[in-house]
Amino acid sequence: MASERSRRRALTLGLGATALIVVLYLTGGVFSGLRSAANVVVSPFSWSVNEVAKPIGHFLAGAIDYSDVVAQNQRLRYELGKAQQQSNESWSFERQLQQVSTQLHVPFVGSLPTVAAQVTAISPTNFAATVDISVGRDNGVLAGMPVVANGGLVGDVISTTPHGATVRLISDTNSSIGVTYGSGKLTLLVSGRGVNNGLGATAIPLTTSISPGTIMATDGLEGGLYPPGLPVAKVSKVTLTPGAATYNLVLRPTANLRFLSYLDVVLWEPST
Amino acid sequence: MTRALIPATLVTLFVVAFQLEVFSSLRFAGVVIMLVWLWPLAMGLAGFTSLALVVALVGGILFDTHAVTPFGLTAVVGLILAYATSRLAREGIGDLDSAAMWVTPLIGAVGGFAAPLLYTFGGFFALNFALWRGSLFESVVVNAIAFSILARPMTRLAKAVASFGERARR
Repeated sequence: MASERSRRRALTLGLGATALIVVLYLTGGVFSGLRSAANVVVSPFSWSVNEVAKPIGHFLAGAIDYSDVVAQNQRLRYELGKAQQQSNESWSFERQLQQVSTQLHVPFVGSLPTVAAQVTAISPTNFAATVDISVGRDNGVLAGMPVVANGGLVGDVISTTPHGATVRLISDTNSSIGVTYGSGKLTLLVSGRGVNNGLGATAIPLTTSISPGTIMATDGLEGGLYPPGLPVAKVSKVTLTPGAATYNLVLRPTANLRFLSYLDVVLWEPST
Repeated sequence: MTRALIPATLVTLFVVAFQLEVFSSLRFAGVVIMLVWLWPLAMGLAGFTSLALVVALVGGILFDTHAVTPFGLTAVVGLILAYATSRLAREGIGDLDSAAMWVTPLIGAVGGFAAPLLYTFGGFFALNFALWRGSLFESVVVNAIAFSILARPMTRLAKAVASFGERARR
């Protein structure tokens, strides 16, 4: 009986402690300190796991100088991604030149400063699509800044530390981006559909003509979260329900979110 | 329980480190296998209720500090799994030595199936209404399979860790 009581007490205490921490987190400020403390606690164990796991992984890969090849491959992929990004951006720049040639101060990524960063960790959970990067506040990176790589928009910075930052990927279920295409007259809202599922847009009026292969780029509306012209996604599927007045889109990010090693943080803030 | 707390906490720290360093990258069908949920489940199945609740809390909180999802939710799901399986262990269900061979893997599979659902459901209380839109189906299936495979070895480990603490006392 007594042990039953103590178990119940332990469960109640556990749930109570969790609830308290959630409240502290919601009221702000505590999370950053808690995360640092947790990192200090876990890092020696992470280091030991890494020390054991890495050689085994390399051994299994069975290649001499495997790490160098991987690093070289990542660098090449980064360079290829930049080339793809420039190609994808060109149509957007042309449109802007034609339509808003008088608006000389409209920013787009080609003229904006960027900071190169390396991906240090990917989201450890199935329920969030994020990556940690190697640059932070000390490099001028602030929350809200867009991040590009591998051919287009990757996401935006959601939190920073002096030497690191967390980037929410565009495929995250909490991510929504205003995009435009073609002549730029129409804007849509595309949302993340999870780590493995790319992006989607719903309730597109039938009067709007969008075909597979169409590239969507950030709309850059005033007060928006992204500068205009950043390639976001390519339409991969149009789904139409018979009798419906609208249709849905399935989009594939122009950036390859599965192989993110290096990326660029665009030093652009929504307020600027 | 007090003597077993230190080795159990140490193993929990290794489990969290293993989760963050290895299993975050080692995805199956794009899904992360949640060792931080399997560990308290196994500890509960081994019959150590209080210890299972402690490792669920410690592991969950440490893991949550590394994710951007609602803070504390992983710990809550771990606590629920730990409590539920320890109740089963109390009834003698899932005991490695006396129950049928398939019982522990089956409980593991049910735990792996339920955990992502509980997490998504809990997200509503944390005002995050987008969790279900992710890879929920894949998470449920992959974790159920992985938990069923790993349930027995993890429960053996849990027993060993807990009895190591007991031996140290003697």
